[in-house]
Amino acid sequence: MDKKYFVSSSPHIYTQDSIPKIMYTVILTLVPAGIGSVYFFGLRTLWIMAIAIVSAVAAEAIVQRMMKRPVTVYDGSAILTGLLLAYNVAPSVPLWLPAVGSVFAIAVGKMVFGGLGYNPMNPALLGRAFLLASWPAHMTIFSGAVPRGGTVSGIDAITNATPLNVLKAAQDVLQHPQDFSPAQKMEASEAIGQLYDSIEDLFLGRIGGCIGETSVVLLLIGAAFLMYRRYIGWKVPFTYVGTVALLTWIFGGADGLFTGNPIFHVLSGGLILGAFYMATDMVTSPVTVGGRIYFGIGCGVITVVIRLYGGYPEGVSYSILLMNLLTPLLDRWTRPKVFGGKKKA
Amino acid sequence: MSVTSEFTKGLYKQNPVFKQALGLCPTLAVSNSVESALGMGVAVTFVLLCSNSIISLIRKIVPAKIRIPIYIVVIATFVTIVDLSMAGFLPALHKTLGIFVPLIVVNCIILGRAEAYAGKNNIGLSIIDGLGMGIGFTMALLLLGTIREFMGNGSFMGIPVMGPAFEPVLIMILPPGAFLTIGFVLGFFNWLENKRAK
Amino acid sequence: MRDIGKLGGLLLLITTIAATALAGIYNVTKPRIEAQKALELDRALTIALPAAPREAIFPVQANDDILYYVGYKTPEKKELIGYAFVSHGPGYSSLIETMVGVDSLGAILGMKVLNQVETPGLGTKVEETRHGEGEPWFTQQFLRKPAGQLAVDKDGGDIQSITGATISSRAVVKSVVAAYEKLLADRVKQD
Repeated sequence: MDKKYFVSSSPHIYTQDSIPKIMYTVILTLVPAGIGSVYFFGLRTLWIMAIAIVSAVAAEAIVQRMMKRPVTVYDGSAILTGLLLAYNVAPSVPLWLPAVGSVFAIAVGKMVFGGLGYNPMNPALLGRAFLLASWPAHMTIFSGAVPRGGTVSGIDAITNATPLNVLKAAQDVLQHPQDFSPAQKMEASEAIGQLYDSIEDLFLGRIGGCIGETSVVLLLIGAAFLMYRRYIGWKVPFTYVGTVALLTWIFGGADGLFTGNPIFHVLSGGLILGAFYMATDMVTSPVTVGGRIYFGIGCGVITVVIRLYGGYPEGVSYSILLMNLLTPLLDRWTRPKVFGGKKKA
Repeated sequence: MSVTSEFTKGLYKQNPVFKQALGLCPTLAVSNSVESALGMGVAVTFVLLCSNSIISLIRKIVPAKIRIPIYIVVIATFVTIVDLSMAGFLPALHKTLGIFVPLIVVNCIILGRAEAYAGKNNIGLSIIDGLGMGIGFTMALLLLGTIREFMGNGSFMGIPVMGPAFEPVLIMILPPGAFLTIGFVLGFFNWLENKRAK
Repeated sequence: MRDIGKLGGLLLLITTIAATALAGIYNVTKPRIEAQKALELDRALTIALPAAPREAIFPVQANDDILYYVGYKTPEKKELIGYAFVSHGPGYSSLIETMVGVDSLGAILGMKVLNQVETPGLGTKVEETRHGEGEPWFTQQFLRKPAGQLAVDKDGGDIQSITGATISSRAVVKSVVAAYEKLLADRVKQD
């Protein structure tokens, strides 16, 4: 018994990357944004992250014990889910909220379907959707979290809403002119003007929002490293952000087509975090080239539809969840032709 | 086939919701509070009892070719009776259940029992079967209603039981909560069944 | 094809029996249902115009449609107390219907939500009565305010909107304002 010859089916080419290595690298690239949020929102965000991670890991260990499966909490996937969930809640939430969200994300979002690799939707986003539906007041109020050196909205006069909230309210005023006084309309267009001037704040993260989503520059540093290591591809994030930019430019303006401000829309809300870290999740996004492009475009379209026409100010999380569900269909639809196989009749 | 077993099969072994997965539309839609769950359960039990006994009575004169339209007419009649009496005597409950009272007509438990049981058995057994199935359905609704109202509203039958510090899990009384709850309850019963089989 | 007559006849017989039974039940329950509706209206009118006894509130009609109600202190139409009207506005997931009473200057005397199917736990708070309180808190804020100038706090008014349910709150406020303006127009027409 000195040598064994294994016969196995394809794929025969392996990389040295293992699940833990990928997971811990992704977590590491998220650290700059985490440090940024501690700087902007205070030490409380660190607690939220810690609680979310600990409860995610504990939930995974307990559920795996209960299901009599090997306990795989050291692979880092639960840590990543917990961290991403923490990045998706407001800095002012009560501390039990991230814990409940993490347990739901792991237990219902992942383990119920069979664990890592079988979950149809991104667990962290599912946890966020659960929290948003259950405790909307906690999840949508940002007034308690004023970033250091800035304001919640990026506008000095408005202190209780994020840029996208302010934009939504202002657009509501401008779209129903008969219901509002001239002074309110003036105020609304002024607010939109000021929002469009706050690009620098948006880029640095000096605005209100969920813990990990505000600082675009720190997220992009991490994402660039992941792209350099080829842990995430360019297709999903670039088509996603590109679609959002294009559609908000065409439809986002108050004065007709092609008057929107795409830079504002790209930098605000959770788009960068979602596009680079959650839409690219290996388990829940398509594997084919075409599938990834359609996935990115679909996410972009849904996000813009929700932001511009929907009831919520932000649509990144729902758009990714919906496209996650379409992933098997996209993969099937864009399956490449088998080499040497027959053309379809 | 004893009378007792005909009655008890609807409670657990062939529970319409948990075992046969029938009548899920009202189960999901009106189980967000104990009160509406109970109202719906009683309404369905009444219709089931009446339709089962009438259909069993006329089973010999109903030709196979047109049995479905006849069953539906019988069921629809009783549902309309329930709808009208509820509007007259229990207006608050009628308002809460709304469209789901007339929709009992298309509840597949009722036509299912008519087709599978009352059309083939005598009236005594059919009444017992209808009663068992109706109570089984009501119990299922009550279980879901209790879980959902407790978690989603912190109350039981509208009475707060959790104290003011409790922040209810709102999703549980919204439509997704219905799917989550029934998923977990069905999973629990399957797990129980598997454990028994071993 | 031969038995089509027989089958049709049987079906006719069954449906006739069912129809007869239903007609009977309908006749029995109809007065009850109408009494319930009248009772509900009575209750709403008493809340809208608390100072007017029910028998001193008269509907003002145009072509069978009730435009609004006029309430007096006595059934002999002495001492005008105010007007009551129904307003409805699209909320988040349903049409929210309210009964509103105003005095002759437009200050709100009372109001009650008649119908709504808003999101449980959020929009449904338009008719929520907090534990230990007698009256629904949201509509209580409207009392004594001028019906023509209502607005929620987010639009610069002084009606505190429900947390997480601005759309429902705004729907109630806006529908009351719109219905009050309609009342003014109708009153001009009636005079």
